[in-house]
Amino acid sequence: MQHAWKWIAVIVVAALALLPLLPGAVDSYAFSFLFFVFIYAIMAQGWNLVAGFGGQISLGNHAFFGLGAYTTAILWSGNYLWGSLYDSHPNVYYFDPVTMVLGGLVAAFAAVLVGLPLLSKLRGDYFALGTLGFGEIVKVMFINGGDFTGGAFGIVAPASTFDTLRPHYLVGLGLVVGVALAIRTLMRSRYGLALIAVRDDEMAASANGIDTLRVKVAAFAGSAFIAGIAGSLYTYYIFHVGPDSVFDLDWMLLPLMMTVVGGTGTLLGPILGAFVMYAVFDLARIVVPDYHPVISGLTIILAMLFLPKGLMRSFAGRSQSV
Amino acid sequence: MFNIPPPEILLQLSLNGALGGAMYGVAAVGLSLIFGTMRLIFLAQGAMIILAAYFVRALFYGLGIDPFLSLLIVVPVGLCVGWLIYQGLFRKAAAEEDRNVSLLIAVGLMFLVQNLMTVIWGGNTAGIVTTYTASGIELFGVRTSFTRSMGFLIALAGTGLVVLFLRKTLVGKAVRAASEDMEAATLMGISPHRVNAIAFAIGIGLAGAAGVAVATTFPFNPFAGFIFSLKALVALALGGIGNVAGALAGGILLGLIEAYVQYFISGGWTNAIAYGVFLAVLMFKPEGLFSRPYKKA
Repeated sequence: MQHAWKWIAVIVVAALALLPLLPGAVDSYAFSFLFFVFIYAIMAQGWNLVAGFGGQISLGNHAFFGLGAYTTAILWSGNYLWGSLYDSHPNVYYFDPVTMVLGGLVAAFAAVLVGLPLLSKLRGDYFALGTLGFGEIVKVMFINGGDFTGGAFGIVAPASTFDTLRPHYLVGLGLVVGVALAIRTLMRSRYGLALIAVRDDEMAASANGIDTLRVKVAAFAGSAFIAGIAGSLYTYYIFHVGPDSVFDLDWMLLPLMMTVVGGTGTLLGPILGAFVMYAVFDLARIVVPDYHPVISGLTIILAMLFLPKGLMRSFAGRSQSV
Repeated sequence: MFNIPPPEILLQLSLNGALGGAMYGVAAVGLSLIFGTMRLIFLAQGAMIILAAYFVRALFYGLGIDPFLSLLIVVPVGLCVGWLIYQGLFRKAAAEEDRNVSLLIAVGLMFLVQNLMTVIWGGNTAGIVTTYTASGIELFGVRTSFTRSMGFLIALAGTGLVVLFLRKTLVGKAVRAASEDMEAATLMGISPHRVNAIAFAIGIGLAGAAGVAVATTFPFNPFAGFIFSLKALVALALGGIGNVAGALAGGILLGLIEAYVQYFISGGWTNAIAYGVFLAVLMFKPEGLFSRPYKKA
C-alpha cells in the first residue's frame, strides 16, 4: 500500500511537471486551475502541520499568508530596501527565492512572537479564538499602515515582467512537492514524534521530557513559514496585495476545509483535499455561476456529514498516518 | 488630543456604546449556550442574525407586520430552526468527537446562509424604515433613538429569560450541568443530544430576537453577519465562556470600548483595539472579567 502511493505520487508529479511542454497547455484553463490548486495545497499543508499533526487549531493562517504576500510586495515594488538596485534591473527581483524565503521568515517570526505567549497560556478552543483575533489585528494594522503598506488600497507591484503563467506553475508545483517531502522527513524525525506525542497527550509528552511549548511553537512557526511562502507566490501572480484580498478569511477557511476533507494528520490528505474541493468550487462557478457559493456551502456540509474522517482515511485504509 | 470632553458627551458615548454593544451581547449569549454544551465555536451565529433581520424585513414590507410585533413570530421560528439545525446537521458530528467537523459544518452553514440571502434578496444593503425610526428619546440631555432603546430592552429581556430558564427549570439545570461536565451529566441520565438541541434552539431563537433589533436599528447586507460573529466571540471571552449573563455584560463592555476608541483614538483602530483587549483577556483572565470564584451559569 505504502509503496503504491509512492509510485502514484511520482508519476503524477512527473506528469504535472511535463504538462507545460504540451503545446497550448500554458494558456489553457487547466493550467491556471492547477496553479490555484497548488497554492491551496501549500496552505493546506501548512495548516495540517500545526493542526493535523500538532493538534493546535490555528484560525490565523490567513494572517501569515498576508504577511508573506505583503513582504514580497513591499520588497518587490522596490521602494524600500534596495530601491536603487531595482530601478536599474527591473527584472532582478521577480520570483526571487530570497524574497520568497523572507516572506516565509517574516510570517514565521510573527508566529513565534504571538505563538509564545498564546501557546504557553491557551489550550484548545482558546488558542483557536486567540489566533482568530490575531488575524484581525494584523489586518487592521496593515489597513492603517500608511504609505508603507498602501493603506486600504494596498500595494501594486510592477507588472512589466509578467507574460506567462509557466514560472508560477512550476514554482507552485515545486513548492507542493518540497513542502510534502519536508513534512514527511520532519514527521519521521525525533521532532515529528514529539509533535504527535504532544497532540495525543500533552501531559504524558511533558512527563517524558518533551518541551511541549517549544514543540508547539515550532509547529506554529513552520506552518506560518509555509503560509508566508504561499502568500509570496500568490503576490507574484496577482501583482496587487490589499488588506481585503490577502487577509481574506477564505485563505484560512478554505485550506482548513480542504485539509479536513482530504484527511487531517495525513501527508497526502491536504493535497488531495485541495484538488477535490477546488475542483468542486470551480465547477460550481462555471456551471451555476449565480449559485456557486451556495453550492460551496452545501458541499462543505455534505462532505462533513458523510466523510467526517476525510478522503485519505476513508478510502486509503488506516496505514496513511505519515 | 486627550482633552477631557464635557460630561454630556461622555454620557452620550457611554449610552451609544452600551446600546450598540447589547446587540453583540445577545449574539454572545447564543454562542455561549452552544459553546457551553457542544464546545463548538458556532461561527454562523451572525449569519443567522442577519437572516432573521431579512425575515423581519420581509414580514414588514410583505405583510405589514410591525418589526417589534414580529418578535412573536421570529423567536418561535428561530427556536424550531435551531432544533432542526442541530438534529439535521450537528447530531452526527456531535457524536463523532472530532470538533473540526462541527466547526466546518458551521462554516458551511454560514456560506450557505450568506449566499442564499444574496440570491434571494440581492447583495445590496437593506434596512427598515418605519414611522418611528426617526423618533428619539431624551433623558438628562442625552439623546438616543427609540429603536436603539428597544433593541437594548430586547437584549435585556432575552438574556433575562434565558438566565431564568437555566436557573429555574429542570431542563435548564440539565443544560447547565452539561456545560460544566458533559460526561458527568451523561452519567446522571442527561441525554447529550437533547441538551445540545435545546442549546441550539435557544441560541437560534436569540438570533431571531437579535435580528429584530438589528433590522430596526442598522442597515444590513447578507455578509454583515460574520463581523457580528467575531464581535460576539470577543464579548463571550470578556464575559467568560459559559457565563450567560456575563456574555451580555461582555457585549455591552465591548460596545463601550468601541465607542471610546472611536472618539478618543480613531475609527480605523477600533477593531484592532477590541481584538487586542480580547487577546489580553484570553491570556490573563481566561475565565472572563465577570466570573465569580465558583462557576455559575
